[in-house]
Amino acid sequence: MSTIPAAAKRTWRQRLHSDGVRGYFYISPWLLGFLTFGVAPLIAAFLTSLTKANVFRTIRFVGVDNYEKILTDDPVFATIAKNMLIYVVGSTAVSIGLGLGLALLLQKDFRGNHVFRTVLYVPSLLVGIATAYLFKQVFRGGEVGLANMFLGLAGVGPVNWLGDSDRPWLALVALILVNVWFAGGTMLIFLAGLKGIPATYFEAARIDGAGPWQMFRKVTLPLLSPVLVFNTIMVLIGHIQVFETPLAFANNGGVATGNPLGYENSLGTFVTYLYVKGFIYQDMGYASALAFIMFALTLVLTVIVLWLARRFTAYGDAERN
Amino acid sequence: MHTKGLVLRYTLLTLFSLLLLFPFAWLVSQSLKDTNQYFAVPFQWLPQPVMWSNFADVVFRYNFLHYIWNSLWLAGYAVFVNIFSSSFVAYGFSRFRFRGRNVLFLIVLATMMLPGQIMMISLYRFYREIGWIDTFYPLLIPKLFGSAFEIFLFRQFFLNLPREIDEAARLDGCGSLRTWWHIILPQSKPVIIVVAVFTFLGSWRELFGPLIYLTGDENRTLPLGMLYFTSPFGSSPALLMAAVVISLVPPVVLYVLGQRYIDKGVAIAEIK
Repeated sequence: MSTIPAAAKRTWRQRLHSDGVRGYFYISPWLLGFLTFGVAPLIAAFLTSLTKANVFRTIRFVGVDNYEKILTDDPVFATIAKNMLIYVVGSTAVSIGLGLGLALLLQKDFRGNHVFRTVLYVPSLLVGIATAYLFKQVFRGGEVGLANMFLGLAGVGPVNWLGDSDRPWLALVALILVNVWFAGGTMLIFLAGLKGIPATYFEAARIDGAGPWQMFRKVTLPLLSPVLVFNTIMVLIGHIQVFETPLAFANNGGVATGNPLGYENSLGTFVTYLYVKGFIYQDMGYASALAFIMFALTLVLTVIVLWLARRFTAYGDAERN
Repeated sequence: MHTKGLVLRYTLLTLFSLLLLFPFAWLVSQSLKDTNQYFAVPFQWLPQPVMWSNFADVVFRYNFLHYIWNSLWLAGYAVFVNIFSSSFVAYGFSRFRFRGRNVLFLIVLATMMLPGQIMMISLYRFYREIGWIDTFYPLLIPKLFGSAFEIFLFRQFFLNLPREIDEAARLDGCGSLRTWWHIILPQSKPVIIVVAVFTFLGSWRELFGPLIYLTGDENRTLPLGMLYFTSPFGSSPALLMAAVVISLVPPVVLYVLGQRYIDKGVAIAEIK
């Protein structure tokens, strides 16, 4: 800390070099960007969500009409909300369960650990429209797709993953399964968390005669719970905003053709619907309201995860016992 | 009992690794076939003949050279700009005390939760108003102001750098700006590499922004090129798979180059 005699008045020069001024100077780019590309468009989007524009682009204030219509009187949104519930729950289970399982398998050091870690992690860096198209071919109907090739070996006939009119949920299953390939990202964060647990805890548990399951349940899981909560929230946010894969799955050659929401909206997600409403139909008010509903749901889910974490983490127990 | 556990571990990991690698092996195989071979049942792992020309076709005849170039320079720009802007901001957050610092940093973290699409709707209308649609400005300008995740990474790293060196530099009359440039940044190679890799990957795969801001064929990025890929000769998935292979190469190469640091990067990002 700088030592300025209490009596001495600070000159402007000293003021300019004070921590406060310099701190604001360095964070000013972010602050400026946050106000222009964050706060201002956020407020504008909220105001937009309360309006409706007609074909002549005359904008009319309609209050919460957009929200009301979305939540009570939009069958497409109802389908999409159902899709999202299945997709987000399924995909989060896949990302967290698989990520944690793989991290536990790689927790101890053994020969080849590094090779496995690399093979499991790299696919998660490739997520995007490219892998979306790859998996669209993998889940192709008929006997050409890789998924059906495997099912064929097991004697199961070819499944029409992305276009079965009787079983539109198959498309969602394919969409969830794609996340198996991207579990490496959560795995790596779990591994870092596992490394942070002091070995003495495991030693102590071993001496007390704990089996592998007890060790996991009583030592690993409680000590890993902050990482688990962090990972779950990040994964949830990511899955709620899923866009590339459903768009690619629904698209048949050029976005202009075909329905971006898939057969009977079976592949519709919040963001693809927002894209369709806002940028294909140019209904900005409706799209803004959709975006805010999506954000509100994200917040609610985050709060639920935090609440569950507080309720079920064994931190308190560990201290009491 | 110990070896039994290890065998189980190896078996599970090997099986799962194979499962993960299978689609990529399949992808390479399919990208080297002609349309007849592509749809052949039963599946042939080795293409005959090997259609290397698929790659040349995609790159030169379907304009992918241009899309690749657009994606490359956009990603290069994002990396370059983000390293400076984010480390600059992070330096402010990690080395100076000022009123509201903790609240502001919490806001930085909170912005990561905000779905970008909310802002993009109004920004799109604004850019349309000022004639920026179908230009690169909407993708270039916001990057100048740092991005939340990278600011967070830099800050975590800077907090662990010894302050004594800064102090010594200050006593020698080194201003804070020069301290950032000459003292802090040269010590930050690991986090710079991690930020470079993540920023490159983020820009390389970005779809939503380019999709709404870039409308003309001339400005398409690689992801847009794939999204709009159609062939005048009907469906030619082999060519699309060749484009997929091309777009997966840079991320894999980057990972191999930055591998040592990425593992550490995850440790930096660990919540503290």
